[in-house]
This record gives sequence, C-alpha cells and structure tokens, in this order.
Amino acid sequence: MDNTGPSRLTAIALAFMAVIWVSPFSWLILNAFNPLSTGQLEIPKAFGFDNFGLAVSGNAGRQFINSLIIAAGTATLSVVVGISAAYPLSRLRIPGRNALLWTLVLLRMLPSAGVLVPLYFAAQRSGLLNQLGVIIALTILNLPFTLLLLKNFFDTVPIELEEAAYVEGASLLQIVTKIVLPMSRAGIAVVWFFSFTGAWNEFLLPLIFARVQDAFPMSVGLYAAFGQQGAINYGFLTAFSILYAAPAIGVYFLLRRNMNTGFAGVGVKG
Amino acid sequence: MRNQANPWLTGNLFVLVLGMLPAIVLIGALLYFTAWAFAFSFTDLALVGRKSVEWSWVGLENFERLFTRRGFLESLWTTVIFVFFSAIVGQSVLGFLLAATLRGTQSTIRSVVEVCIMLGWLLPDIVAAFLWSATTSQTGLINQLIVVPLGFRPINFINEYALPIVTVANIWKGTAWSYLLFSAALDSVSREVVEAAKVDGATPFQRIWLVQLPIIRPHIATNMLFITIWTFTYFPLIFAMTGGGPGRQTETLAVFLYNQSFARGNLGFGSAISVAMLAIVGVLSLFYLRLLREPK
Repeated sequence: MDNTGPSRLTAIALAFMAVIWVSPFSWLILNAFNPLSTGQLEIPKAFGFDNFGLAVSGNAGRQFINSLIIAAGTATLSVVVGISAAYPLSRLRIPGRNALLWTLVLLRMLPSAGVLVPLYFAAQRSGLLNQLGVIIALTILNLPFTLLLLKNFFDTVPIELEEAAYVEGASLLQIVTKIVLPMSRAGIAVVWFFSFTGAWNEFLLPLIFARVQDAFPMSVGLYAAFGQQGAINYGFLTAFSILYAAPAIGVYFLLRRNMNTGFAGVGVKG
Repeated sequence: MRNQANPWLTGNLFVLVLGMLPAIVLIGALLYFTAWAFAFSFTDLALVGRKSVEWSWVGLENFERLFTRRGFLESLWTTVIFVFFSAIVGQSVLGFLLAATLRGTQSTIRSVVEVCIMLGWLLPDIVAAFLWSATTSQTGLINQLIVVPLGFRPINFINEYALPIVTVANIWKGTAWSYLLFSAALDSVSREVVEAAKVDGATPFQRIWLVQLPIIRPHIATNMLFITIWTFTYFPLIFAMTGGGPGRQTETLAVFLYNQSFARGNLGFGSAISVAMLAIVGVLSLFYLRLLREPK
C-alpha cells in the first residue's frame, strides 16, 4: 500500500472534485425550495414546498404522466419485443447474426434527426403523431441496441441447464420463464432501465411528434417554459426540473448493483 | 449441429420464429426509414408549402450545396472541436484518471465521488442545459463565487465563450459513462500482472502506461467508438443551451441538421446532411474497429 501522504492528498483532491461536480445543483435546490425565488443564486429568505405544489398540478402534472407513459411504454415494449427475438437469436444458429446485429447498432448511430423525417411522414400518414407513435418510434430506434445486449446476456446462460430441464419434461415456455429469464434478470433490468431513461430524457422526437401542449412530455414542457420570453417563474421551473430528474436518478440507484454487472457486458463482447 | 442436440428448440422452431416476428417488422421499419432518408437526400422535399407535395428529384444538388454554401463545413469544424475536447480529451481522459485513482481509495470516498459524477450523467439533457445556463449566467455560480470576488466584472459566459461552455457542460454530463466503462475494464486486469510490475520496480506511471493501458486497449477502443459517435450526433444539450448561437458559434452538425430540416423546412438538404454525417460516422467507426481488432 502507498504511504498516507499522497493518498490523503488524493482524497482531498477527489473530495474537491466531487464538490465542484455537484456545485451547479446548488442553484437548482436553493431556488426550488424558495417560494419567493427570483432565479438568483442566493440563500433563500423563505423556505417551502409551494413550488413543488405548482409543479405537480395542472399542465405540469399532465406532462409528468405523459413522460411516464412514454418512458414505461417504450421500456416495456422494447424489453418484450427484445426478449422474444433475442432468445432465438442467441440459441439458433443463424448465419451472420453477430455481423447483422453490429451493423444495425452502427446504423442506429446515425443522427436520429436523420431518420426523423421519414418517421415523421410515416407517423403523420398513419395518424400516429401522438404518444403511441412516440413509443413505437422510440422502440424502433432502441431495438438494435436492446437486441444486442439481451442476446449477450442470454448467451451467458448455460445451455446445460436448459437441457436438464428438457429431460425433466419442461416445455419451451417453462424453460424460458423458469430458467432463462430469472438467470438473466440483471441484464433485463439494465436494458429496461436504459430504455426507460432514454425515453424519459428524449427531447427531439416528442418535440416534433407532440403538436399540442396536452401531449408534451416533461422534456418538451421544460424546454418550452424556459424558452419563454418575459416573466419566467424560476421557482416553478427548478422544482419541475427536480421532479423531472428524480425518476431516472431514483431508478438508477435502485438498480445500481445490477447496472455494474450489466456494464461489463456492454463494452467487451462483440 | 448444436440445434439437433436441443430438441426443445428444434421442436418449437415455429414458435421461436413467431417470437422474432415483431422485432423483424420493427427492424424492417428502421431499414425502410433509413432508406427513405437516403432517397430524400436526392430530392428538394420541403416540410411545408408546395414542395412538400410536388417535390422532384434533384440529383446531387444537395450534396454540392454541402460544399459550396456556407454552413456545412463550418459546422463540421465546430463539431470536430466539440467532439475532440469534450469527448476524447475531456470525458475519456478524465474518466480514465478517475477510474484509476478511485481504485486505490477507500470505498466511502469511491462511492461518494461515483454518485456525484453519476448525477450529471443521469440528469435529463434539458435539465442539464437549464442548470448550466444558470451556472454560467451573469448572476450565476461561477460569477458570484470566482469572477466577482476576484474583482472582475461579471462575465456573460454563454455569450462570450459559448463553445467552451457547452464543451465543459458536456464533459460534466458525460464523464460517468467513460468512468464506468474504464472501471469495469481495470477490474479485468489481473492483480498479479500489476504486482509483478511493481516488484520489478515500475513506477505508478509506468504501471499504468506500460501495463494496464495496453491490456485494456480493446475497452479504450470501444469507449472511443461509443462516445465519439454519441458526441458527434449529440443534440439536446447544445440546442437547449444556445440553439447553435450566438451566431453560429455552437452550431454543430446535429444542430445544423435540425435547423435546416425543421426550422427552415429544407428536408431534402437536411437528409443530405444526415447522409454526410452517417458517412463520417461510418469512417470513424471503421477506424476504431480496426484499432479494436489489431493484435497487441
């Protein structure tokens, strides 16, 4: 082990960095809990939850629900479609499946604004310029990555277990639901989380798809509110930002243990 | 041959193929839309007006415009600077340094720093943009805590140093990903190798530079691949902070593409921009993938 001198210095440097890293949040929190907020960085003279009250009622509350529908819908649809395709992809010998998956992932790397134009036209023609349309579009955009990750997770489930279960008389459905899915629980949680946060944060697609205020998710609502000219209610906006940021952060810390195992699978396998 | 040994698969081929069907349909849609984006780039399609209905094929005109009109090349240069400083220099190097340093520290310090960095990454793009606009505003944190106490006049950072500010904001936001990936990578380096180098008298710097870095080279290449492409096409943070301005100082290709396609309604030209971006991203990916494949 190193001697205490440099390691204490490292600890101080790291602590300093951590403070710098979270310092931008000071403004957000000071304003959100200050009912008389003016958008300045100052120690509030009053303290209260009035701003949060505003941020869950009326239009803002509606936007929270919209975001939740879009994010949970996309994540669930992606995982269901992903699982039912990734298991066969992992088990059947389909020639060139890895090359295919990687090609799709690279294809998906193209700026989503590029596919957005045809997506927009297709949605317009089929009357899907709404939340369902956003969910389907996001699932399409997510799918290559979802498939690749889920397939990698299923690959790590030993096929011997499935053999044993088959010998014992288990059906395909039982094998999948009783063995494969429980054993890749961590991976599925990671994929669900990625899709959820991705859809929760998504800005561009709902910006173009959601034409009326009622359909705005929180990302578009926040952007619209803070782009407004004139009197900006900073207290409301900061409280709204905190509520908007909370679910993604909360879900991450709930799944944190799983996330780290999941990450090992993202980078290396090809 | 593996299939024949797995009767629960061969006996249910129909069910398995049926399970793949929704994914095949959606992937088919993705390919279809991508093909359309290519096709649009040869047209003068517009978002509104007469040309949204009566568009016509214009051949390579859109691609000529990329090089003859102002905008594309300038945006490309802005994007290169943004990607280089925020992703490659900022996120990657900082992420690696953090991962390497935090490995040797107590678990409490490690978790605290980790949580702090993760907060930036988990924060929705629009909130991050909002936060950084406030932090760098004339009455914001940086001015109140550093600039004014030092006796300078408050600086409107977002107007005067727009590109550096969005770069810093993106480093703040994105470092966690590189950190997590490098952390996992360093965990895979066996302790014995590092110990052996230590016994042989390698300095800490040599241990990192000559032992650990070569071992995790595939991870570095993977990380570079992901963050370069992400940053190259990254849109919401810059768009919400500056909208590409002031002037065109922060108009990266993604913002340029949005402005041309949806603000000005030139869908044909916009598609040509995204095709050009895809080509650039493709070349970069090939470069990184070669780095990944090459033997040590």
